[in-house]
Amino acid sequence: MNGFLYGVALQWKLDLRSKSLLVTCYIVPLIFFLLMGGIFTSVMPEMGSTLIQSMIVMSVSMGALIGLPPSLIETYGSDIKKVYKANGVPIYLGLVTMFLSAFVHLMITCVVIVLLAPMLFEAALPTQLPFFFLALAIYITSSLSIGSVLGLIVKNQAKLTMIAQLVFLPSIMLSGIMFPIDLLPDVLEAIGRIFPAFWGYRLMLNHGFYFENLWYLIVIFFAAVIVCGTVLKKQKEK
Amino acid sequence: MMNRAIQVRGLKKSYDSNIVLGGLDFDIEKGETFALLGVNGAGKTTALECMEGLRKYDSGTITVNGKMGIQLQSSTLPAHIKPMEAVRLFAKWNRAKTDFTMLNAFGIKETTKKQYNQLSTGQKRRLHLALALIGNPDIIFLDEPTAGLDAEGRVSLHEQIRKLKSQGKTIVLASHDMAEVENLCDRIVILNAGNIAFCGTAAELTDQIGEKYFIHIKTRQGNSTFETDHIEDTLIDLIGDLKHKEIRILDMKVDRGTLEQHFIEMARRETE
Repeated sequence: MNGFLYGVALQWKLDLRSKSLLVTCYIVPLIFFLLMGGIFTSVMPEMGSTLIQSMIVMSVSMGALIGLPPSLIETYGSDIKKVYKANGVPIYLGLVTMFLSAFVHLMITCVVIVLLAPMLFEAALPTQLPFFFLALAIYITSSLSIGSVLGLIVKNQAKLTMIAQLVFLPSIMLSGIMFPIDLLPDVLEAIGRIFPAFWGYRLMLNHGFYFENLWYLIVIFFAAVIVCGTVLKKQKEK
Repeated sequence: MMNRAIQVRGLKKSYDSNIVLGGLDFDIEKGETFALLGVNGAGKTTALECMEGLRKYDSGTITVNGKMGIQLQSSTLPAHIKPMEAVRLFAKWNRAKTDFTMLNAFGIKETTKKQYNQLSTGQKRRLHLALALIGNPDIIFLDEPTAGLDAEGRVSLHEQIRKLKSQGKTIVLASHDMAEVENLCDRIVILNAGNIAFCGTAAELTDQIGEKYFIHIKTRQGNSTFETDHIEDTLIDLIGDLKHKEIRILDMKVDRGTLEQHFIEMARRETE
């Protein structure tokens, strides 16, 4: 257990040293928040009631879908994974430590947004904070599980950049955080429902924490666990 | 088995239709420095990884009698990890005491503030060797430990390996560097296309191949090297020929060749 906790703490530090995760989990989401937060609340003052949730969906999507996968490719797409076997530790340890580390990074960014948004843009705080943070934790977990699948299945960074964008952009554009989902054609709305951002956004809204918004995120998580487990089992057997 | 660190019997491994190991049988004694030698693609890394438990094999048995320490090749640590962090992590994984003095012993103490991707090839190799020794293993596996090192780095790493041998450790190394193996190892297995072409000591290999000599002669016309199995006759003929042509010898050296030259000869015979 001691080794596991040290591994998570060390991974957290390595993530900060790795510029890609620093950029995708902190710098870009927070700059986006500072710029768009001002624009959104100036142009449409009513967005103040959902600004925190919108900015969090953007931040989590970027960190989970663009930030996490390269770290996984660095380990599981190379000989680094042999280190686990050579030291008698399970091959999934790297995935678990990177997942938990990214979870903490994203949670910190989200807390910063929750703290700054009311002060800077007079955004409304969620009315039920415990449910909000529970919904946030579930949404981050679900998004990171998709990032984990991408990082384990895609074999090189160039392909990953393209595929990650194919997941990230519709997540943002079709989730309802930029404009009301009712304005979209039915086809695009249906596509938007495929991505966890759509459900995570609704789950975090005031009075949004109920099963209809929750089940899909849970299904995604368990499906991703099965896919990751299968991929890692194959890698172990090679 | 008591005195054996490793016993390998009928080890076979294929990748699809490509047979990489065709049924290897050999033993490695405790305290021995043992080399797996071969050109690239001969199967030495596959054999080593099967023994280390890193790779599954198709059939055969491998019995390992002792705790293993594995020095992996370079680029097998995260780019941003620092040597001290790697030592601490490996110690925790192996439930061993964290001992940073080993970084000093391996001459990489000055690198402790650098990240892995900022280390030189030699520093990375020494770090990997230090990490392999965490938990005080009985058997140490080294995969091409000096590949990519300059002369100074090689000498330094050879010294470390000799120290480990003097401590009674069993060392198994894969290499394609004949001179390294000749200098360090008690016994050698030469792999050729996944099969054992030779198993024994360097001296036994020389006996098997024959008494080959190399004569290097320097004259005003240039340098020449002659290969022979009959040193006396060839020397007399060469000197007589040069004297007859009134060519003055500036320098002359006779040696018995390196293991590499013997290996090339063995591979040539196998092909024929």
